[in-house]
Amino acid sequence: MPSSTRAFGTAEMAAPVSLAVRPAAPSSGVREILGLLWQDKVATVSAALLTLVLACVLFGPWLLADQARALNLMARNAPPFSIDKGWMFVLGADALGRSLLARIVVASQNTMLIAVSAVLLSVTIGGVLGLIAGYKGGWASAVLLRLADAIMSFPSMLLAVIVLFVFDPGVTNVILVLAVSRIPIFLRTVRAEVLEIKERMFVVAARAMGARTDRVLLRHVAPMILPTIINLAALEIAFVMLVESGLSFLGIGIQPPEVTWGLMVADGRNYLGSAWWLAFWPGVAIMLVTMALNLLSNWLRVVTDPVERWRLQTSVGRHD
Amino acid sequence: MNIWKSIALVASTALIAPASLAHAQDATAVTIVLPAGPDRLDPCETPRSVIGRIIKQNVVETLVELDYANQKTLPRLATSWEQTAPTEWVFKLRPGITFHDGTPFDAKSVVHSLGRTNDPALTCITRTKYLDGIDIKAVEVDPLTVKFTTKTAVPILPTLLAQLTISSVNTPKGEYTAKPIGTGPYTFDHWTQGENVGLARNDGYWGQKPVIDKATYVWRTESSVAAAMVETGEADLAFSIAPQDATNPETDKVYPNSDSALFRLSVDIPPLNDIRVRKAINLAIDRTAFLGSVISDKAELAMQQVGPSALGFNPNLKPWAYDPEQAQKLLAEAKADGVDVDREIRMIGRPAMFANSNEFVEASAEMLRAVGFNIKLENLEMTQWLKMANKPFSPDRAPNIFLTMHDNNSGDAAFTAFFKYHSDGRQSELHDPALDALIVSAGTKSGEERVREYNEVFRKIYEDVVADVPLFHMVNYMRVGKRLDFTPTIANAVELQLARLKLADKATD
Amino acid sequence: MGSFIFKRSLQSVFSLVALIILIFFLARMTGSPADLYLPQDASAEARFQFNEQYGFNDPLIEQFGRFLWGLLHFDMGQSLQFSRPAVDVVLQAFPTTLALAAITMPLVLLVSIVTGSLAAYRPGGIFDRFASILSLIGASTPNFWVAIVGVLVFAVTLRVLPTSGTGTALHWILPVGVLMLRPTGVLVQVVRTSMMTALSSTYIKTARAKGVGSRAIVFVHALRNGLLPVITVASDQAAGIVNGAVIVETVFGFPGIGKLMIDSVLLRDFAVIQAAVLVTALAVFVINIIVDITYALVDPRIRYS
Repeated sequence: MPSSTRAFGTAEMAAPVSLAVRPAAPSSGVREILGLLWQDKVATVSAALLTLVLACVLFGPWLLADQARALNLMARNAPPFSIDKGWMFVLGADALGRSLLARIVVASQNTMLIAVSAVLLSVTIGGVLGLIAGYKGGWASAVLLRLADAIMSFPSMLLAVIVLFVFDPGVTNVILVLAVSRIPIFLRTVRAEVLEIKERMFVVAARAMGARTDRVLLRHVAPMILPTIINLAALEIAFVMLVESGLSFLGIGIQPPEVTWGLMVADGRNYLGSAWWLAFWPGVAIMLVTMALNLLSNWLRVVTDPVERWRLQTSVGRHD
Repeated sequence: MNIWKSIALVASTALIAPASLAHAQDATAVTIVLPAGPDRLDPCETPRSVIGRIIKQNVVETLVELDYANQKTLPRLATSWEQTAPTEWVFKLRPGITFHDGTPFDAKSVVHSLGRTNDPALTCITRTKYLDGIDIKAVEVDPLTVKFTTKTAVPILPTLLAQLTISSVNTPKGEYTAKPIGTGPYTFDHWTQGENVGLARNDGYWGQKPVIDKATYVWRTESSVAAAMVETGEADLAFSIAPQDATNPETDKVYPNSDSALFRLSVDIPPLNDIRVRKAINLAIDRTAFLGSVISDKAELAMQQVGPSALGFNPNLKPWAYDPEQAQKLLAEAKADGVDVDREIRMIGRPAMFANSNEFVEASAEMLRAVGFNIKLENLEMTQWLKMANKPFSPDRAPNIFLTMHDNNSGDAAFTAFFKYHSDGRQSELHDPALDALIVSAGTKSGEERVREYNEVFRKIYEDVVADVPLFHMVNYMRVGKRLDFTPTIANAVELQLARLKLADKATD
Repeated sequence: MGSFIFKRSLQSVFSLVALIILIFFLARMTGSPADLYLPQDASAEARFQFNEQYGFNDPLIEQFGRFLWGLLHFDMGQSLQFSRPAVDVVLQAFPTTLALAAITMPLVLLVSIVTGSLAAYRPGGIFDRFASILSLIGASTPNFWVAIVGVLVFAVTLRVLPTSGTGTALHWILPVGVLMLRPTGVLVQVVRTSMMTALSSTYIKTARAKGVGSRAIVFVHALRNGLLPVITVASDQAAGIVNGAVIVETVFGFPGIGKLMIDSVLLRDFAVIQAAVLVTALAVFVINIIVDITYALVDPRIRYS
């Protein structure tokens, strides 16, 4: 299986001309991307890891919910790397003797749900508003920017604390609070990029030819901004996981029996001196997901940029 | 302006910093780490531990001192007292004492302190917690004699007055003060907001001269950091650290903190209105499994809401056994009689109520699920929690298993029984006329009779009504640095008398 | 430029007003402070008296009116917990946080611009990979975790730094280090990305091809071009430093505004919450003006109309 993919990849290398033009059919596009992915080992590992996390998100709670909840006060803080208690305890046990592995797998669902939804929400809202602010300018821009200022100058931790005190700290409210507090960064980034791009030749040309505003925005401006936004969003996902963890550190945020990686790190910090693994493994999970997302988004940026891709492929070809 | 000052400070101290790390303080000065900083240092707020731990009996003293271990009252600023009529007490004051500001300690200062505490412009906790409702007044008989009168007979007035600190007549009335002026062995030196409070020895103290001449109080929320400060010698005493940080038996000493944890049950709401269901809950929680794991192994199983140091504590109650089969049987019986035992029951906790309380609640919920209860776990923030804890209760509330922690550090069951179990008590789910009568009657008694009646109150609640799920009498860990020779006691739940700190013999370097 | 700043300030007054209204009502939705400041067994009269004394029995709109009236007289009200003017409480805490931010942000910018640019110069190279991994670790590690581990390692095990508190410069090393972590991690990524775009843009390529100037000049040109997103993200990180400060101040016992804010919410000390939000909002407002001016300096095409 791996060898066939590799062969496929090199076969494509042999015909660089076909790459320069637009992919003929979607299926060959996907194959081409997969082929390129395989050539970048870091990206491959990242993609594999994210696939694994996705599997945990989809099936983890269904498979391991009971193990993640089963108490065993005798096995409290059982150390990792020992399978005397079964392979579920290979990462050790938490303060109530529950399998850390099972809890990390189960917690992936809430963690990713919160992080991804919050970021998607703020990307969408912030992105659209940023396009409008940057392209239209004038009073619309001023109002949107001052609104962003107002949100930005409200420390998000404080906002979260207040809102979660008023409403209950369930998953939905945590998502909403985090999404709202991250809108300004996307709004401002998109606006800044638009300001620059709209002066470029092709956009000016499109406008001069009488193209409609929404069409110019979506067809010409948005694609140019997308790489930056994807990169930023990948970083923001980490940020959301960390803020959520910070909220748990302060004793607000997600409440048990719901569990997220952030909550696990926050609870585990009480045992840093005696049982480091409680906070360490969920921390590693956050770190690995962040790294995978960012490395993959960096790779994606290179691959989706025609100039960059050409450079990548030729250099790869040369080294082979 | 300030920012430049800070930056300049950082820059200038950079040069001398390494030297100052090694020897943090001189030999007779101590640094004490508290879990939280004070918000005000007013003498009328000393029952709040964030304030009392710093100034009570150090800066400001009381007429009467409680002997927590022996349930007795000892003279302090007063030398003697007697009850001259049911509602009248006469206190003789210790002569020859002056306040830190030079004014004499006399009947006027006692009248002033009580008047200040009773002033409705301030929400002094000494009044709202202990003196409200008894309408206490003080008059000067002569400079060293004070007469207290109350609306009703208060047999435990000296116990109540152990909460009233006496401050100089120069302490302003009608506003809180941040500069307490008392008679104690230490004078208030400074308070830097958010950073530290400093006390200095009062060399004109009327009593024995203490060893420690300077005390600096700092506060750290994170238990691990507080413990680390003592370990590295930056501090000499960490007031309260989590059980998992108390890893060094040489320095980490345990003391009962007069807190008792329990689950309150909403006894009016089905299925908790059925006594079999309440018994099943008591049988299903494996209390001893928590000791030495989530809860300190020095904590004690509780059978009632007051600890052994409170007058009225009933020593004859037997702990519930852990018996899940019996619990399941009781539930099955109740179900057979048509009780809706499958109804969702809310278990309500509060983050950081005590060390590891989140874990405790999670584990308890699992234990109840294991015998067949349908438990929904909820952790509430303080204000929401108080709303649930206090009357008026919502009539259509869900059945609740409600985690509470009650501190009775004033040494008498009166502060617990009415508030928690009388029909008119603010946190009472019960409304049993016979129990009400017993509680009221016990409150008017004194001596042996008082003990006997309160014992009966707690027996009835525990055995006949099964109103709640008593859990543990809690403990705290104090980390005492090697320079000091000190063993904490239950008194340290609310105060820390610096005069009791001694230097360890070998600490001569 | 002067008229721009004036106009911008005028607009920002509206943001501030919106913020103040928001915080006033949001804070009061979190519940009454009476129960927190009185013992649990306090009588109903005591609670009524407390609310009467602090005006919490009045209709909300009346309280708001009083608040606005006070604001016009530069009076933010009394702190419930400290029983002294809220402004004093906040202004006493603010310099510590400002100092933390003022030390942290320049260091963050320095480290991230240097590292990010070097990484972008040879994408995929050893340095790039190394910098990427390290910066991502920085951007994804919970700061309280690093803070506590830092105390255990540097103060308890190695005994080279103090555990916590303020005083000497050594006391600032761990807090600043922890506070730098995430902004640096994020900015290295952003600088790297923008520099790669800038370096591959046609005009830099042309410049390179023509052999104009030294490598350094090309670099500076690219940096200038790639700076816009960097400024945007850096300003966001600077504004967000108060979030990190909450954690750092909690762990290290720093008397700053971050911890004060959270404590004030826990204690329903509305006057302090309002004053603290106002002060941080003013600080963020200054940052935003600086950012807008920097935009204009960096890219002359951005006009202010």
